[in-house]
Amino acid sequence: MIHLIAVPLPWFIVGPMMGLSVVGLYALTNLHLGVTGAYVQFVDRARGRAVETWRFWFLAGLLLGAACIGILGPGPQSLLGYGALGRILPLGALLPVLFLGGILIGFGARWCGACTSGHAISGCSVRSPGSYAAAMTFFATAVAVTLAMHVVSGGRL
Amino acid sequence: MRINLVALFFGLTFGFAFSAAGFNQYDIVHRTLLLQYWAPWLVFASAIGTAMPLLWILEARGWHTPLGGKLTPKRWEIGRDRVLGGAVFGVGWAVTGACPGTVSTMVVAGGLLGIVPLAGIIAGIVLRDVMVERAARHPAVDEVVLVR
Repeated sequence: MIHLIAVPLPWFIVGPMMGLSVVGLYALTNLHLGVTGAYVQFVDRARGRAVETWRFWFLAGLLLGAACIGILGPGPQSLLGYGALGRILPLGALLPVLFLGGILIGFGARWCGACTSGHAISGCSVRSPGSYAAAMTFFATAVAVTLAMHVVSGGRL
Repeated sequence: MRINLVALFFGLTFGFAFSAAGFNQYDIVHRTLLLQYWAPWLVFASAIGTAMPLLWILEARGWHTPLGGKLTPKRWEIGRDRVLGGAVFGVGWAVTGACPGTVSTMVVAGGLLGIVPLAGIIAGIVLRDVMVERAARHPAVDEVVLVR
């Protein structure tokens, strides 16, 4: 709202900042940065399993960082908007699509062990062979499906 | 407690950069996956390009972390789980323009609809866990392996 920061910031600022976050967490605590693990902790806690507390703190920090951009950036996102997808789908269709898409994300991330942050950024940074495979697979699949959606929607998406 | 505070700090820097890159906006992610907007690919490349050599040096020198013992990076083997799970993840990412990191930061940034894929992600995690537990009880029915 103060609009001190333009979003998106240049890649050569935000990319190294993400990379240094991975290095800093590893160098001080020997912990692997990833977001999906934080959600898994909520599930584990609800099911009475042991949890990794630091992941809740990491998630809290993630939200604080996003809030900083919300305050210092160009302003809040549209409350009920969802970009181009929200413009071509009525709300009644958009909600189930987003929910089902979310299920695929959670199921797939749990299956392959991590997500974009845990595999593509942190995992590739530590030269994890499985992370290379997972990241290449989800990047290739996401690009292929997005291009297919673009064609099927007649270029509206 | 010190580990938690360190996690909070690096969560903040990561969330700040993540949101500053626009990763919590559907249109930016969608245009990236359409190969119409290249900056986010450079964000990924520069993040890895920054972290990889530094972690390589630390590991090669046998770095002992102040709060977690000797540096032992977490590595996964290549396997079916990585590829099949990654493919399912990729479909969901393409449809929603969201990943686990973006949905919660989307909500904080005012995009209320981020709650919907967030709920789906939690449901997907539970669904996967239930399937794995069922497979563990009845190994002949399915040979799914729990991967954390």
